[in-house]
Amino acid sequence: MSLRNKPEKNDTTFWDQRRGVIRSQKGGWVINEAIHNHGYSMMDDLVGKVSFFQVFFLNIIGKLPAQRLAEWLEAYWICLSWPDARIWCNQVGSLAGSLRTSPVAAVSCGILASDSTRYGPGTTYAATKFIISALKKKKSGLPVGKIISEEQRGRSSSPKIMGYTRPIANGDERIPAMERVTQKLGFEIGEHLSLAYEIEEVLIKQSEEKMNIGGYRCAFLLDQGLTPMEIYRLLSPVVFAGVLACYTEAADSSPESFFPLRCDDINYQGVNSRSVPPPPN
Amino acid sequence: MRYQKQKKIVQKRDKKFTNRTVTRIWQEEPLPTNPYLAATCRCHGYDLLELTKKCSFVDVLFLLFQGELPDRNQADLLEKLMIALINPGPRHPATRASMNAAVGKAEPAHILPTGLTVLSGAHLGGEEVSAAMHFLRKQGKKNASAVADELLSQPHENHWEGDWHIAPGFGTRFGGIDPIPQKIINVLEKLPAAGKAIKWGNKFVTAITRQGMGWLDTGLAAAVLYDLGFHYRAGAGLFQLLRAPGILAHGLELANKPITAMPFLDEEHYVIAKQARKE
Repeated sequence: MSLRNKPEKNDTTFWDQRRGVIRSQKGGWVINEAIHNHGYSMMDDLVGKVSFFQVFFLNIIGKLPAQRLAEWLEAYWICLSWPDARIWCNQVGSLAGSLRTSPVAAVSCGILASDSTRYGPGTTYAATKFIISALKKKKSGLPVGKIISEEQRGRSSSPKIMGYTRPIANGDERIPAMERVTQKLGFEIGEHLSLAYEIEEVLIKQSEEKMNIGGYRCAFLLDQGLTPMEIYRLLSPVVFAGVLACYTEAADSSPESFFPLRCDDINYQGVNSRSVPPPPN
Repeated sequence: MRYQKQKKIVQKRDKKFTNRTVTRIWQEEPLPTNPYLAATCRCHGYDLLELTKKCSFVDVLFLLFQGELPDRNQADLLEKLMIALINPGPRHPATRASMNAAVGKAEPAHILPTGLTVLSGAHLGGEEVSAAMHFLRKQGKKNASAVADELLSQPHENHWEGDWHIAPGFGTRFGGIDPIPQKIINVLEKLPAAGKAIKWGNKFVTAITRQGMGWLDTGLAAAVLYDLGFHYRAGAGLFQLLRAPGILAHGLELANKPITAMPFLDEEHYVIAKQARKE
């Protein structure tokens, strides 16, 4: 936090310096030279030599990760690629297919719908912020039980912690799957993930609520040295394969045949029929 | 690796989901011969055909969100806001996004959603309108000048140079005070339906003008929507809706033009940092 200087009125130097030019720290195409990307030539150094997830990570974070972290991310992507048309963002894909949008439009709006505060990548920022703050508190000597109770809004209410509990079920089958991947790839359990498990243990004793995959992934990725915003950016399109699966099935069926509703399938609870009042004189 | 030993990992919650979605907005009565087709549609009780014959678009827009038809003054204020916001202009990033999509020969149907999605953000976008409505609701009962003084005295995060929004909807634009929102406010504040938020906002702006800050278009939208009784959650989407015509029009203007109709910087003007280049 710093005090900002009083703005100079109508000093446009900042914008004048940027007008008519794009300066990139990321890279770009120089014809007959290279497609530069963070110090690499994409066609010479990356294509066929590293995985897509390594380049994906490079584009966002700015450095090429170890192959095992890219493999971990790819495995995690599979965990969020359910072809289940009941999941909210996936159903957006189905509805888009039913109205014959392009697959690009369908996947774009499915990803947009997943930017949610209840599931998907939209939970990332809050979950990472929580575990960072919890670790700080633990290091200052606060017991885990107290860290949890500080998340309670009211005395009798249960703590609301992003990364724990799920809307439809309690417990998450994706965690043991990712634990196997984590173990196979030789990652240690870092301080964030270790604390995430400790918090879960207390929560299970208190309310039987368990960690969800969001809590696991955030703690793990924080242990890899990423920041909350980097993790959010990295995971932003994570649901796309599930959305596309559902889109494809609906787009290959008759238009508007996906989960159709009759008029009486909507429960109208508004005001009764009335006439438009005459305009005032 | 604590989960490895557990057998039953997931327990389904005993959560009761509704079997029919509830709405208070729209009633569709089925055709006796086909339950999927509506014989009549009613918006908050009014028959759609009757609304079509007797009401303006602005009336029905207000009705949709608020459940009652507006009085003449409310409709007038909303219509004037719609005109004021109809086009962010061709330099606005949201419009430019639609223009980029169009000149790049994106599907014409994708031009508008592209621009509107860019207009969803926390800086000059829908999120800022909602935040500004929230700000006006929370601070609007306090003395505007005191709120401004308090905000001006607070240290704040300074991640980058450029514009500063002292509060959502209020601040600098390109280092100065954007005159257009103020001129529009000057027109709207004289209308009978202009209410507390517009007046409070004007007092707040008086207090921050000496710092080179003023109304932003997001603040203008927020104050008017707030005075008209819209919920702050509706602010983001309504802002997108009201700015949509210009975003689409500028996109369509480029849709049948060659890709050379917009600048594509040459290498001299696309500067790749040394560390990003492969040496």
